[in-house]
Amino acid sequence: MSETATATALYAYAVVGPVTERLRNELGDRLELVGDDEVAVVTGEVPLADYGTEVLPERLNDRAWLESAATEHEGVVRRLLGSTAVVPLRFGSIHHDRASVERFLQARRAEFAATLERVRGLVEVGVKVWLEPRDRAAEPEAPLPASGREYLERRKQERDRAAAASGELDDRLRGIHERLAAVAEAAALNRPQARELTGADREMVLNAAYLVATDDEALRAEVERLRSENADLAFEVTGPWAPYNFVGGADQ
Amino acid sequence: MSVVERPRSLQEQVTLLDLVDRVLNKGVVLTGDLTLSVADVDLVYVGLRVLLSSVASLERGREGDA
Repeated sequence: MSETATATALYAYAVVGPVTERLRNELGDRLELVGDDEVAVVTGEVPLADYGTEVLPERLNDRAWLESAATEHEGVVRRLLGSTAVVPLRFGSIHHDRASVERFLQARRAEFAATLERVRGLVEVGVKVWLEPRDRAAEPEAPLPASGREYLERRKQERDRAAAASGELDDRLRGIHERLAAVAEAAALNRPQARELTGADREMVLNAAYLVATDDEALRAEVERLRSENADLAFEVTGPWAPYNFVGGADQ
Repeated sequence: MSVVERPRSLQEQVTLLDLVDRVLNKGVVLTGDLTLSVADVDLVYVGLRVLLSSVASLERGREGDA
């Protein structure tokens, strides 16, 4: 049992290719390639004390640990991004040894080669749209309803107005997504993050990702135009990211 | 009074959410020989539950300050 404290496994971060000199320079001492010059897996040793099957699920519930592990994963992937084509792997791909990584790679080598070809020279940009909260203080206060009937009538009008506004917003968001998708190689819509998770005082109404060329400026320019046309919406741009949303994960 | 960790800004909070959302929920699944039991865990919900509880405690912290 004394071995467990120092025992390690191989964590797989991404599939990359072709292997360039610049990529090799980015790897440093800790990261190691498994595979060949066209398609390779970037791996790094991690302690089994953290990544073993019995402990990892528990570790994921530790916010500080999860944050540092996710940041580490993304840090490696991002560092590779400029040196060759990168297919990011999902968090937690853990192997006993190089032979195991090699086996899993060979089983899907053709698929990875095709995906690498598809995302070469492209990055993912995230665009989130927020609905600014209405300034209720600025709205005129209605007089108290004179009767129960007037009260119900007013409630119905409020509901109708809200439904119309929501339909109008949906149309506008669809238009916004279409315009951004038109200047991108590919587009992906994700569910807006719930307010309980964002902790924001405004509601996220669009959560999208777009695949664009590394040196693209058209998407950001289109966001600027949309920003000036939609005063009640806030646009947030994130990235560039590795193409997480465009490599065909299990739920895509 | 205990020493309270300085609450991170909303921007950082959201960025972490984006990060976890991508790293845990997207990307190609390359199942390893040690990954099997972990694959049964719905990673993203584990992750988001952690974030959820941290946001909730952040909110409580704010209320406590007021």
